[in-house]
Amino acid sequence: MRRALTAVAAVALLAPAAALADVQQVLLPGPTPYPTPSPPLVTGGAPPWATLTFKIHSSTDQRVGAGVDERGRVISVRALERLRLTGTGDYLIVVSAPVLDVRMGPGSESQPGQRRGQILWSGFSSKRRLLVSDAKLHAGPVRPYLPLRLEARREGDRYELAVTNATTTSEVAFQGVGVPKELAALLDRTRRDSLAHRRLRPAYVTISGAISQRPRKERISAPLRIEGRLRFPSTPSAASGGTLAGRTVRFSFVLGDRQPLTRRVEVTGGGDPKLSLEARPDAVVRGLTPPGGASTWSAAVARSRQPAEALLERLIETRMELVRSDQFQGFLSNPDQLGRNHTIYVYETAAAPRAAAASTGSSSGGGPLMVLLAVGGAIVAAGAALITWAHS
Amino acid sequence: MRRLAFLIAGLALLAAGCGKGSSEQAGRLVIAVDVPVTGSPYVAQTIRQGVELAASNLNGGGGVRVGSKSYLIKVKLYDSHLSARTAVQDARRAIDAGAVAIVTDGTGVDATWQLAKQAGVSMAITHDGGTGLVDAETRPNVFRIAPTNHGIAFRYAEYLIPKKLKVALLSDDSGYGRSGAADIGRAFESNPEAVALKLTLPAGQTDLTPQILRARRAGATALLVWGQPPTIASALSASRSIGWQVPVYTPPTGSDPFIRQQLADHPEWVDGLTFAGGRLTAEVGTGPFVNFQSQYEATYGADPVGVKNSKGQAVVQPPEFAMYSYDFVHVLVAAITHADSIEPGKITAALNQVTTQGANGDERGFNEHNHDGVVDDDVYFARFHDMTYQPVQDDPLSATLPLIPQTRSQ
Repeated sequence: MRRALTAVAAVALLAPAAALADVQQVLLPGPTPYPTPSPPLVTGGAPPWATLTFKIHSSTDQRVGAGVDERGRVISVRALERLRLTGTGDYLIVVSAPVLDVRMGPGSESQPGQRRGQILWSGFSSKRRLLVSDAKLHAGPVRPYLPLRLEARREGDRYELAVTNATTTSEVAFQGVGVPKELAALLDRTRRDSLAHRRLRPAYVTISGAISQRPRKERISAPLRIEGRLRFPSTPSAASGGTLAGRTVRFSFVLGDRQPLTRRVEVTGGGDPKLSLEARPDAVVRGLTPPGGASTWSAAVARSRQPAEALLERLIETRMELVRSDQFQGFLSNPDQLGRNHTIYVYETAAAPRAAAASTGSSSGGGPLMVLLAVGGAIVAAGAALITWAHS
Repeated sequence: MRRLAFLIAGLALLAAGCGKGSSEQAGRLVIAVDVPVTGSPYVAQTIRQGVELAASNLNGGGGVRVGSKSYLIKVKLYDSHLSARTAVQDARRAIDAGAVAIVTDGTGVDATWQLAKQAGVSMAITHDGGTGLVDAETRPNVFRIAPTNHGIAFRYAEYLIPKKLKVALLSDDSGYGRSGAADIGRAFESNPEAVALKLTLPAGQTDLTPQILRARRAGATALLVWGQPPTIASALSASRSIGWQVPVYTPPTGSDPFIRQQLADHPEWVDGLTFAGGRLTAEVGTGPFVNFQSQYEATYGADPVGVKNSKGQAVVQPPEFAMYSYDFVHVLVAAITHADSIEPGKITAALNQVTTQGANGDERGFNEHNHDGVVDDDVYFARFHDMTYQPVQDDPLSATLPLIPQTRSQ
């Protein structure tokens, strides 16, 4: 919200200046700031301190495992972060996360420390060092920042899984009159970066005349590439939204990037399935495809007139989408602001948490006996206490 | 009328004196120091002085503020006589005296930590790096700021194996030697080709010539001697007196003044001796440590080694272990502030959550998984020349460290 207000204020400040200047350079979205504070995860309290001198750089590869129940609700979260340091020097790294427990992950050259809401690394890097943490996180505080929302339903013999892109957010954007040729060149550059999975580079656009805030906020989503499977105990009779092969239904699609934000997989028969799904923040492809079969936006503009307003709108929207996609590449923080991040989100059917299992267990047969034992024990304990008191 | 006024004034003063929450009067926080004053005086003195210096600085600044009240730190000294039994008695006395923490060299911790735990009192080891003394899960009230044997052993493996040396792993039969031998054995177990032999040396024996000759016959091209200072001095003496200029590597005990005192007549025998220790300076440079050293020497004087270099300058010992105990007091105070309580149990829990800047400019702190305040990566190697030492240049960390002045003009 604060960022949105800042953006509005910036546009508002820009407007009077626009009246004075005929032509001006305006900064386009990307590579930062991100539209929301999380991801990467942040925990409350004092902001984490860390020292990573300019001599050391870091990149991360992350695998976020979300355990889901039969309805698709996330009930457990585990995050594996591989921090690759390059350079020689001391490091002190604090990764903010609602951590339940953290252990050293495979291949790690050091042990992570743990504090309330923090994963800690401290040591000396000699040219390069790999730090791998395997952390169990509190599901509650993490849930709102996961990129997908899953809803599974069973009605009779029919099972339905709805997979929704949950990265959508609203952003303030500006409008003005740009130069089609320059806008096309910027779209081509943005497209090249997107297809190469490179983080956006800062870019300016030339605007003639007044600049104003667009009347409506843009609804921005990170494109997510989804690949998943539902494995059933017996062979289903039919499936839509996925491919049925034996007892398994496989599905693969992109949520966002000019495609629906929700997809459904419907299956008839087969019993209760086990879900396994991977989501990856992806490039903007469709949104940056040049019109009319042209090989580039520049070629398209040279061939036929393209409205400058539409080109600017497309440029801003797609860059916002790429920024949002980049934001979800780093679910846990990287101490190097400029470092590369890559995150895969894995959703799998998980056993119910122990507390829930215990609470449901009482109604599974041994309940009355346990109650009797508990009451009897309490009576004996009270009697013993009375005797002790009387003799004291 | 005047009598009435006096009466009212008197009652007012009385009321003020009886006030429950008099915020003007400072309370007292006891930190116990249990060290072998009569068994290992140098270690005992440097640990005690580190604690006292930190307490003095904090008290000079008004003490420790908890809620609306200030507390002055009082340091109570106990002599463990290097005896676990005495350490147990000391721990009981310290807990009875209301200590919020016990700072120790490590003597008797295996026997005292549970007593302290029952009272919620934290224990801080600032000398012994023994594996098993500290375990965040099983001994949640035991903390350490000192290089660990585990870290030293693995750093030695990392440092020596690429040199293609055939190392004789020698350890004495003291508790320190045995625990170090276990760690060094584990560190080298994946590279048996780097080990010429493993041998236990009798602690306290002045002539180790037979054992050193045996190491030479086994084809050793380096000695790693894990033992008390007298053992290291004897091993050096034996190898040099038979004309064997084999490189000798040691744990932090290699920097103990005792070795140089023993070999003062043959300073060249000390040349080349390499020891592992906790780095004295951080990446920020020598400034913070030199400031600490100046303050330490201004208060207690320099710790003389008791020898001179070839220029006739007196050699002094940098206050390494004093720095560790000094740092612990600061981490403890940060924990008290974090807990906003002087209840020992709450302070012990808060020790997992705080970090302070240490005397050398590095961060000091513990966490829920690790109660060792000196990480393995902080272990560096230094080599003696002319009775003083300097970081080696063939190890990536050590090569980045500056020289700490160790001589004083007389």
